[in-house]
Amino acid sequence: MRALRLVVVAAVLALLGLLVWDVAHKNGGEVAKKVDQGKAVTAPAMRLPLMDGSGTFDLASRKGKVVVVNFWASWCTGCKEEADALDAAAKRWKPKGVEFVGVNVQDFRGAANKFLDRYDVGYTIVRDGAGSTLGHWGVTGLPETFFVDKRGRVVPPHILAAASAKQLDAGIKRALNS
Amino acid sequence: MRLALLLVVALLGVAAPALASEQHPTQGELESELICVECHTTLDESDSPIAREMKSYIAQRIRQGATKTQIENELVAEFGPGVLGVPRKHGFDLLAWLLPLGGIAIGAVALAFGAWKWSRSVKEPRPGRGSSTEAQHEDEPLEPELERRLDEELARFDA
Repeated sequence: MRALRLVVVAAVLALLGLLVWDVAHKNGGEVAKKVDQGKAVTAPAMRLPLMDGSGTFDLASRKGKVVVVNFWASWCTGCKEEADALDAAAKRWKPKGVEFVGVNVQDFRGAANKFLDRYDVGYTIVRDGAGSTLGHWGVTGLPETFFVDKRGRVVPPHILAAASAKQLDAGIKRALNS
Repeated sequence: MRLALLLVVALLGVAAPALASEQHPTQGELESELICVECHTTLDESDSPIAREMKSYIAQRIRQGATKTQIENELVAEFGPGVLGVPRKHGFDLLAWLLPLGGIAIGAVALAFGAWKWSRSVKEPRPGRGSSTEAQHEDEPLEPELERRLDEELARFDA
């Protein structure tokens, strides 16, 4: 009887542990929402393989730099519209230490590579085929762009559609000054 | 002997379609089992751009003679295990099948144990007449007045 009680208590504790873990890992979904409310939020962890397979990108290692994080897929119309503006902005801001990273989500690798060739994308591209990072950042559609400041915080603005050069410049300036 | 033969026939009846499905999967079958990574519904219920690309990929691989497992593995490599409508029946994913069954088994054992304990607690006190209220009343002596009236009634009944 005592053994049965122990098993039941252990099972209940395990389920509670799972619940706490789940809730703790869902907090990242608030990032986009809080940034849209004008708040600065610690950037969710992002450690993903580089698209060309040459290594791994870790956002945490970029502290001290402003990073522009853009979520995209080859099938997304807005992603095609913003592709030239993003690449031009990446080249324009590179001398000032600003890094761009494109997160390819929910896409065929082959289609994504064709997209990169077609738009001659020169900045860092990482691969998240399953889209596991989307929930952590609170991404609800594609494309979406975030600005991470030198302290590793996601700061406003958060661009919810195809980004223009003007929007990108404004976001980077604000991140540099935060 | 006849039973064994029946069993073999029944097993063949189940195994043959499964084998055919593995070797020559149909578009409809895969579309009803695989999940659109963007909209989280089965492919046959989705018309999003990525769902259309996935359907087109499946059609192409079927034409090329790929097996069901090959197509599933390739899509898992692109989009992760979430693309499968149901968890696999091997490796870590097997837990998803085993845990509910284990839970049901533990629940059944706990229920049976509880029922056994309960039935024992109801039956046990009777032989000793020590714990139930009814048994306690049986041992109490009758009041003199009540005993006299009971004797009178019994005597009248005898007469």
